[in-house]
Amino acid sequence: MIQHITDDLYQIGEHVQTEHGFEAVLTYVILNDGNPILIDCGSHIHRDSVMAQLNELLGEAIPEYLLLTHSELPHAGNIASVAEKWPNIKVIVSNVMLPYIEVLPVLPLKQITQVVPGTKIELKSRTVEFVDALLKDQPGSHWIHDSRTGTLFTGDGFGYMTDSAGSQTVINGSANEVSQTAFEVYHKIAFRFLRWIKPERIAEDLRKMFTKRNVQVIAPIHGNAITVNITGHLDRAIAALAAVNASYKK
Amino acid sequence: MTPQDTLKEAKVFGEGLERVAVRAITPNIFWLTHCLGDLAEEYYKEYFAVLPNAEDYAGDRIVDYPFSSFLIVDEKSLLIDTCGPKQKDAFLDAVQFCLDGRQLDYIWISHVELPHAGNTGSLKRIWPDAQVVTVAGGENYDLHGLENAMTAAPGDVIELGAHSVEMVDALFVDHGLSQWLFERKTGMMFTADWAHNLHEPAKCHCFKFLDEMLDTGYDAATHIEDIKVNAWYQFPWLAWCDADILCEAIDDLFEQYDVQILAPSHGNPIRKDFKTFIPAIRDGMRMAAEMPFSHVL
Ligand SMILES: [Fe+2]
Ligand SMILES: [Fe+2]
Ligand SMILES: [Fe+2]
Ligand SMILES: [Fe+2]
Ligand SMILES: [Zn+2]
Repeated sequence: MIQHITDDLYQIGEHVQTEHGFEAVLTYVILNDGNPILIDCGSHIHRDSVMAQLNELLGEAIPEYLLLTHSELPHAGNIASVAEKWPNIKVIVSNVMLPYIEVLPVLPLKQITQVVPGTKIELKSRTVEFVDALLKDQPGSHWIHDSRTGTLFTGDGFGYMTDSAGSQTVINGSANEVSQTAFEVYHKIAFRFLRWIKPERIAEDLRKMFTKRNVQVIAPIHGNAITVNITGHLDRAIAALAAVNASYKK
Repeated sequence: MTPQDTLKEAKVFGEGLERVAVRAITPNIFWLTHCLGDLAEEYYKEYFAVLPNAEDYAGDRIVDYPFSSFLIVDEKSLLIDTCGPKQKDAFLDAVQFCLDGRQLDYIWISHVELPHAGNTGSLKRIWPDAQVVTVAGGENYDLHGLENAMTAAPGDVIELGAHSVEMVDALFVDHGLSQWLFERKTGMMFTADWAHNLHEPAKCHCFKFLDEMLDTGYDAATHIEDIKVNAWYQFPWLAWCDADILCEAIDDLFEQYDVQILAPSHGNPIRKDFKTFIPAIRDGMRMAAEMPFSHVL
C-alpha cells in the first residue's frame, strides 16, 4: 500500500505474519524533485507487489539511488527486479560491508558505493547523511538522515509488530502511537546483544543521535513511519531496551 | 583425490571471488571455506581503515577473512551454513565431493545472512528432502529464503549416527536469532561469527588450520589482536558492555562444553590443543570491549 508520510516522502511495502503479530517489510521512497531515492527495496517474496507500487508512485521517473540500510533479504531481496528495471541505479551501502559477498550478485560491483559513517551527500534540495546504526544486526548497516523531511531511516531499529488493522498506517496521531511493549517484543527478537549491555549507555548514544540532528520522522523498515511525538517514542524505545535487558536477569 | 585426502591438503573448487576449498577436520567432518587469497589486499583495503589502529593493517600484514561452512557426514549428513550466492557453483561442487554420493539430510543455519544461508535454495534444488533447521523465536523465515524450516532451541539434539549435534545458546551474535552448535563425539563447537582469527595469504595461511599456522609464525599475541579486532568490527554493541560479564560467559561456556575443536565461520578452525587457545580468545574479547568506539551519532 502506498502511504504518504510527509512532503515528498512515502512508504510502500507489505507485511508478513509472525508468531508475535504482523511485521512490516517496507521500502521508503523520496520523490526528490524527479530524481527519486529508494531506501531499501523490499523482499523477494513481495516482488510483484513492491514493483507495482513503485511503478504507480514513480510513474516515468527513474530512481537514481538505492540506499541500503543493510543487505539482508527482507531489505534487499528484491534488488534483482530493481536492477532489471533500472539497470543504472546507484547503490550505497555501509563501509563495513563486503558487497561481493553480502549483496545479491545481480548488478555490477562498480555500481555499489561504500560510505563511512558521517558521509553526507547532496541530492538536489536535500542533504543525506549516513550515521552509525545504533540498533543493528548485520555489522554492515547504517542509518540514514534526510535533511529536508527530518527523517531518520533506522533500518531494523525502532521496529515493532502490529495487529493486522495497523499493519500499514503512518503513525501520525496520539491514537496510534507505538507502545513500549510493542517496541520491546520486536527488539528482544532482533537484538540479542541487549542481554549484555548497560541500558543507560545505549540510551545516552541514542539521545545524542536525536539531539544532534533534526528528527521529525522515525522511519523503521519493520514498522510504519512515526511522525508524531518523536521524543515520546524515543523514550519508549529506550525504556523497551532496558526492559529487554532486565528480562535476561530474571 | 578422495575427501579424506583433504586431511593433509586442500582441494579447491573454482577460483577468485568464487573459489571454495575443502579440508577434512576429521575423516567425517569437513571445512568448506571461501577466502580471497591474492585478492584480499584489494578487497580489504578499505575494510580496516576505520580501526583505531588502522596502520597495523596497512603495512606488511595483508590479512584475509574466510566465509565457511562445515559438513558432518555420518549415517545422516548435516551441513552447517551454506556459504554465499557468489560462491554457489564451487560450493555445490565441494558439498558433492565431500558427500561422495550420499544424500544431504540437514541444512542447519546459524543465522539468516547471505554468507551463512544464501545457498539454501540451491541446495534444496539438488536435495529436495534435506531438512532446513533454523533457530526458534519468531522470525518469518520465508523472508530469508528459508521456507519450511524446522525450528530448534538450545539443548535440542539431532542424532546423525556416531555423531550428534546439540543446539547451543549463541552468546555473541550480530543477528538476534542465531544459534551455535556442539558436536558431541568430536567436541567440535561451531561459534558462527565469534572467536575468529585473521590469516595471511602471503604466508600460505589460506585453507590452513590455525594449529598448522603456528609453524609459520602465527603466535598468541597475533591471535589476541585478531580476536579483538574481529569482535570490535562484528559487535559494535561492545561499546555498551562491561568486559567482566562477557568473560564470565566465556568461562561458563567452556566449562559447560568440553570443546576440543573450534569451528568459527570466519577464522581458521583449531583442531588441536584447543584449551591452550582459550586465554587468547578470552583476553581478545575483553580488549575489544575496552577499545574505543567512535560511533558517528
Ligand atoms: Fe536486519
Ligand atoms: Fe530487517
Ligand atoms: Fe553474522
Ligand atoms: Fe558471519
Ligand atoms: Zn585466505
